[in-house]
Amino acid sequence: MLRKFLATATAAVVLAVGLSGCSAAGANDDKTLVFWTVTQGDEQLPVLEDMIQRFEDAHPGVTVDLEQRSIDAHKDALRQVAGTGVGPDVYFYWEGSGLAGELVDAGLSADLTSYYNKYDWDDRFTSAALAGITQYGGHHGVPWTRQAMAVYYNKTLFKKAGIATEPTTYDELIADADALVDAGVTPIEVGGTVNWHIMRLLDSLVETECGATTATALFSGSASWADETCVTASYEQLKTWGDKYFNDGYLSMSNDDSSLLFFSGDAAMAIEGTWFDGTVVENGMDPNELGIFRFPTGTGRLSGFGEALYVNDASTKKDLAATFLDFVTSTPIQKDSVGTWASLSANKEVAAGTDNPLDALWEPFFTEADGVYNPADQSLSGEVTTEYWRIQNAVLTGEIAPADAGAQLQTFIDGSAK
Amino acid sequence: MTTLSPRRGAPSSYRPDARNGMLAVPYLVPALVLYVGFVLYPLVDTVRLSFFSWSGFRTRPQDFVGVDNYVRLFTADPVFWRAMLNSVLWVALSLLVPMLLSLVLALALNRRMVGRNVFRSIFYMPAVFASITVAAVWRWIYNPTMGALNQLLDHVGLGGLAHEWLGDPSIAIYSIFAASIWQAVGFGLVLFLAGLQQVQQELVDSARVDGANAWHVFRNVTLPALRPTTAVVVVLTVINSLKVYDLVVGMTGGGPVQSTQVLALWSVTQSFQNHNVGMGSAVAVVLLVISLSLVVPYLVWSLRDNK
Repeated sequence: MLRKFLATATAAVVLAVGLSGCSAAGANDDKTLVFWTVTQGDEQLPVLEDMIQRFEDAHPGVTVDLEQRSIDAHKDALRQVAGTGVGPDVYFYWEGSGLAGELVDAGLSADLTSYYNKYDWDDRFTSAALAGITQYGGHHGVPWTRQAMAVYYNKTLFKKAGIATEPTTYDELIADADALVDAGVTPIEVGGTVNWHIMRLLDSLVETECGATTATALFSGSASWADETCVTASYEQLKTWGDKYFNDGYLSMSNDDSSLLFFSGDAAMAIEGTWFDGTVVENGMDPNELGIFRFPTGTGRLSGFGEALYVNDASTKKDLAATFLDFVTSTPIQKDSVGTWASLSANKEVAAGTDNPLDALWEPFFTEADGVYNPADQSLSGEVTTEYWRIQNAVLTGEIAPADAGAQLQTFIDGSAK
Repeated sequence: MTTLSPRRGAPSSYRPDARNGMLAVPYLVPALVLYVGFVLYPLVDTVRLSFFSWSGFRTRPQDFVGVDNYVRLFTADPVFWRAMLNSVLWVALSLLVPMLLSLVLALALNRRMVGRNVFRSIFYMPAVFASITVAAVWRWIYNPTMGALNQLLDHVGLGGLAHEWLGDPSIAIYSIFAASIWQAVGFGLVLFLAGLQQVQQELVDSARVDGANAWHVFRNVTLPALRPTTAVVVVLTVINSLKVYDLVVGMTGGGPVQSTQVLALWSVTQSFQNHNVGMGSAVAVVLLVISLSLVVPYLVWSLRDNK
């Protein structure tokens, strides 16, 4: 009896130990860097793999393990490894207090100030790019891209509506939108199921109606959404856009679905970022038939955000990680890859790419801009962003009056801060 | 009128004793460890976390806040009650529509008829698809400009009924539910078909000899015999309805204006999008309490005569 019991118990233990041994082992050797990023597009992955290959060739014995995940899975994975002492050595992430700022607070980002001194990175990147790195104190991350957003437009459809020049004021933009409606053209495409697509317009409307100082104060929490009259004006404008200028059925479309309207020539405008230069070509559009103008907010600021590569504070290979970051952001490497992730490199020695004529249109936007305003979801906390989206959509459907929207948002912000 | 008595199983020669019980213990340990690790511990920890404020990062502190998360959930969360209402609505509609439809189809397909197995396969097929696939298919059907539904309505002269099926907050939840019916009917159909095989033909024949019409046979013979099956279908329907998530995520993501938000999705959104694990856990606990309060009494009631 006892012998049988022991035999089966031993078998069970062996089985359990065997099963536990199936867990994956991480890269423990000091010559392997683990690099986490989001899933790369068909045109981006070969370029990234080439970068890695060139780094490995230049550093014999060193291997870079690239791991890609979808955007949400990437965020979840990083959250799960925070504080565990494991995870990547280097990872890609979005700048902003609501995004990378949370990882910095969670101890998942190493302060790279000593490496900035060692490699003179302060001289390598534009001041705008560095602003996104130093915003949390110290130097967190190395600039990877400078993304900006503006209005892409279809020249043929503008011509059809009798629009000869790009709008330079908000009133001109509204007049152009009216002209497009009169010509039977959908002025702008948006996909409402991904709330951030409409959010881009609302962000620009707040910038337009409130001005740079007040808009910054609103998104940083130092001004009240309930007290500023410009907030109501912003929501009133949003409602106007929804009622008159958006594509039909926008609330039940994703941004991918609505973008088809732009690609097919059924919508005249789209608020997109520098990454869209390649997207329009991939979808069969002639880039010479398109133009780009900054949303005419009147403040001179450019809508944009930054992306960076960070070093995990738990990494035991920070020196090697810094070497890798120095390599991939160096001038020769960036010259070979410019235009792949953004039209402009964060490296100030690298000019815009020439393959796509749209890339060149961005350079003056950056140089002429009097600063940058970030998307709401990079400025606000996660839960406030969710409420910001709910209210923007409720204004569009008429469930919330524009005059009540700011007060409702502020009530939520006050409640979440308790 | 003939009544149905529970069937008795054949007596077994197997007699459990203490010695066999001891031998079973080591075999049970791995399953027990997995159950405790992956079911019991997360469950208890979720309840614990609902009393804390925590962003979800291991490096961030978990601050005890007592019942604050629940107070905020019930009094200040602008989405919670909408999610609650939608979840309750989903349960009620699921018990009403797909379950009854499953029963009717099972009764129809339990008769001898040409192509019976083909029809059974056709009706069951949607149940095989992953919910996210069903969501993608129906999202395209509902597409306001290129979708099949609006185009069909146009072609048959009912263009006036064309609608933003997923974009109108007042009907979006029902549009998703229609897709759910399409997917869920097959599962109930199979269970009811299996249950109908347990109805003793001699009882049906006896009832007919006694002069019972089709409705009387169904009411007094078939339905009582289906009671255990119905209990299973009801319980599974309630549980599946309360945890509906993927269809909503795939079709609307909870929008527009959170009009299709449900408790399971709101729990995930609070925890992983809003970085508010305490609030998300509180929603999960509310969901658990509702599930138990609906399922346990019904199970006790429906199975009380089957001991």
